[in-house]
Amino acid sequence: MSATALETPAARPARRRDGVWPRLLRDPVAAVALGFVVLAVLAALLAPWLAPSDPYDNNLLAAMKPPGTEGLPLGADGQGRDLVTRLLFGLRVTLLMGLVATLAGGLLGMLLGFLAAFYRRWLDMPIMRVMDVMLSFPAILVGLAIAAIAGPGIPAVVVAMSIATVPLMARITRGSALVVMQLDYVVAARAVGCTDAQVILRHLAPNCLSPIFVFATLRFGQVILLGSALSFLGLGAQPPTAELGAMASEGRNFLFFAPHIAVLPCLLIFLLVLAFNLLGDALRDALDPRMRF
Amino acid sequence: MLRQVLVRLLMAVPVMFGVLLVGFLLMQVVPTDAALVRAGPTATPDVVEAIRRDLGLDRPVAEQFLLYLGRLLQGDLGVSIINNIPVAQELGATIGPTLELMAASLVWAIPLGILLGTVGAYWRGSLLDRAVIALGVAGVSVPVFFLGLVLIWLVGFHWQLLPFTGRGGPLWSAEGLQAIILPALTLGGTFVGPVARMTRTAVLDVLSADHVRTARAKGLPERAVVLHHALRNALIPVVTLIGLQIGFLLGGAVVVETVFSWPGVGRLAVGAILSSDFPMAQGTIIVLSGGFILVNLLVDLLYVAIDPRMRTA
Repeated sequence: MSATALETPAARPARRRDGVWPRLLRDPVAAVALGFVVLAVLAALLAPWLAPSDPYDNNLLAAMKPPGTEGLPLGADGQGRDLVTRLLFGLRVTLLMGLVATLAGGLLGMLLGFLAAFYRRWLDMPIMRVMDVMLSFPAILVGLAIAAIAGPGIPAVVVAMSIATVPLMARITRGSALVVMQLDYVVAARAVGCTDAQVILRHLAPNCLSPIFVFATLRFGQVILLGSALSFLGLGAQPPTAELGAMASEGRNFLFFAPHIAVLPCLLIFLLVLAFNLLGDALRDALDPRMRF
Repeated sequence: MLRQVLVRLLMAVPVMFGVLLVGFLLMQVVPTDAALVRAGPTATPDVVEAIRRDLGLDRPVAEQFLLYLGRLLQGDLGVSIINNIPVAQELGATIGPTLELMAASLVWAIPLGILLGTVGAYWRGSLLDRAVIALGVAGVSVPVFFLGLVLIWLVGFHWQLLPFTGRGGPLWSAEGLQAIILPALTLGGTFVGPVARMTRTAVLDVLSADHVRTARAKGLPERAVVLHHALRNALIPVVTLIGLQIGFLLGGAVVVETVFSWPGVGRLAVGAILSSDFPMAQGTIIVLSGGFILVNLLVDLLYVAIDPRMRTA
């Protein structure tokens, strides 16, 4: 009996969310952005089946061929690798890096946020002060430091991207957790003797998820942007791995002979980040019209 | 007021300590022997041993950290593994160009951003306003290296208008001035959008405030209302936000310096990391982070100085 009574308020955000998607899709910009994101994710998932060739298959005779060449709709890179294939696989690696970093950094940030809100008396100050410091630090510098210690490579960049996600996620989580903790059902759950872990996982976490989700979307573009910048610097994916930032960096060597090699991966990063940013903004507006920019 | 300043100063201490700890850690995990590097390839084992003792490398780690801090305070950041040049010397030569690049970016990006933000807020909902919003979103979405490569290709290569590699010379010479234009356009280009966005929000807030209505009601010309009553008040939060963003401009500078082969700290850092020159990497990271902390501290103090409400808070 007490279980159902406690569960009822949890259903409220779900009902409110019903209204969010239609509201979101009524905005044409958001609809296009969402469409692009869905398309990009599908293309990345299906890359091995969609790609016309192997991403490491080079044909030096085709090197630097411009877009529109027969059999190479987007041309070939400096080593004669098909750019459609490279871009598909690059997108896959870039999105995967962003996803892993957002999940890892997001979960750690959420945990810290919940702890800060729940054990407000002892943990709030220390956790949030550390978050403030992390927040104020330029992510590229963190990336440089990690790459210097651990050596350049995708893991170093993903760690830097995760670290950039933690403090903001902790702050958002703490903010919404503090509100939810005041609600009757949380107070009731504590009163009936639920353990701290039960209260946090069963009652607090599910009801804080919607702002956290929006925030993750808002941040995803920036996380990708950071990762591609670090890879462009040579600190992330190493050649011949197809990753959009690294591809742009390789293409830089051919800028004056075959600009498309650098421009295409750059353009794809730009569109991807733009789509995520627009989607995040629209999602925020749809959830809370008062925050409209 | 004094208490505020002290609190901020004290907050910066543990952060800087953390940065130095990371720098020290970096020197600990590396597979090279610092004494061997300092001694050079021709040194006898005795000399290497003497240097090792001199650097305190035979002491416990905690003591080594203190010795390391002591050396840093004397400006001794070690010697590059690659070319045996003292790290401090190399850093001294690159800090200037980095500051130059950042200043040249801010000097046009901030006024333009404030102008666009004010215009957007004043004619809210107009086509112009939409353009400002679009610019803001595009500005935070574009990879800074993309902007750089496009400018290099279009202005530098295709039109052959401006140089695009390296620093041409001191800023007051024609070559120096020409060489800094494209890098400054690139770095500043990522800054205009956020500044415009922040200004727009702040001005919108102020425009609906009572004192602006009063100014209008007493018949002040519109120009005076916007410039003196609205923009002036809106600028308080904008200045702080800009200040906080300047630190992040450092991150962009690292990329821009690499794209344009600009001889700054960022490019030095990336080169050192890629060539496993650990002492140099450590030095650049300490300087970049230290510079960032310093800027943040100054902004905090500036905020306390310009907003009287902060003094009692």
